[in-house]
Amino acid sequence: MKSINTRFGQVEYDPANTLHFPCGMIGFESLREFIVMPNKKQGPLFWIQSVDDPEIAFVLTDPTNFFLDYRVVPDDNEKQKLAMEEEDDCHALVVVTVNSGNDFTFNLLAPILYSPKANRAIQVVLEHSNYSTKVPLPAV
Amino acid sequence: MLVLTRKVGEGIRIGDDISITVVEMKGGGIRLGIMAPPTVKIHRQEVYDRILEENKEATQWIIADLDDLSARLPMVKEVK
Repeated sequence: MKSINTRFGQVEYDPANTLHFPCGMIGFESLREFIVMPNKKQGPLFWIQSVDDPEIAFVLTDPTNFFLDYRVVPDDNEKQKLAMEEEDDCHALVVVTVNSGNDFTFNLLAPILYSPKANRAIQVVLEHSNYSTKVPLPAV
Repeated sequence: MLVLTRKVGEGIRIGDDISITVVEMKGGGIRLGIMAPPTVKIHRQEVYDRILEENKEATQWIIADLDDLSARLPMVKEVK
């Protein structure tokens, strides 16, 4: 086990078991290894902490909790980056921007494709969609 | 920055496997044709910049706000 001192405190992790981003996140291409952190509070949100930069952590969620028809399917090139076989599972996750004062949005334009089997993830851009980087929670 | 002048139908080549051709000029816009291997990601600059800014902004959060938010969000199904 290794440990890093993040801005949320000391975190222990197994370096053999980190979530691998072969291309990093957009703008953070050099950060390849993340620890998945469950949120202490019950709910749909969790976060990933960079192993390489203790300052960098992203809040993620399964978007289908809120956007029922949101689907992202990896193309062949993306499957390769995720080290996926044809029948392997792949889930879409999205980054949640949490601002203070109860303001938060979902980045539906650039979701994260996650392959549980390989424990790999990539951020992709849905250029031919009408999604934006700041989608509010839909009104129920 | 390298600046080159090209006419419609002309192009430039970058490295061994990327070529960009000026396809058409119309109404102040220029249409470009790009040939590149499928592994090369090509994005409109402003789209890429917007996502980069959003990612940066998304790293600036504190646990208290996340806890507040978690308490308010509906839980439709279990997170994997």
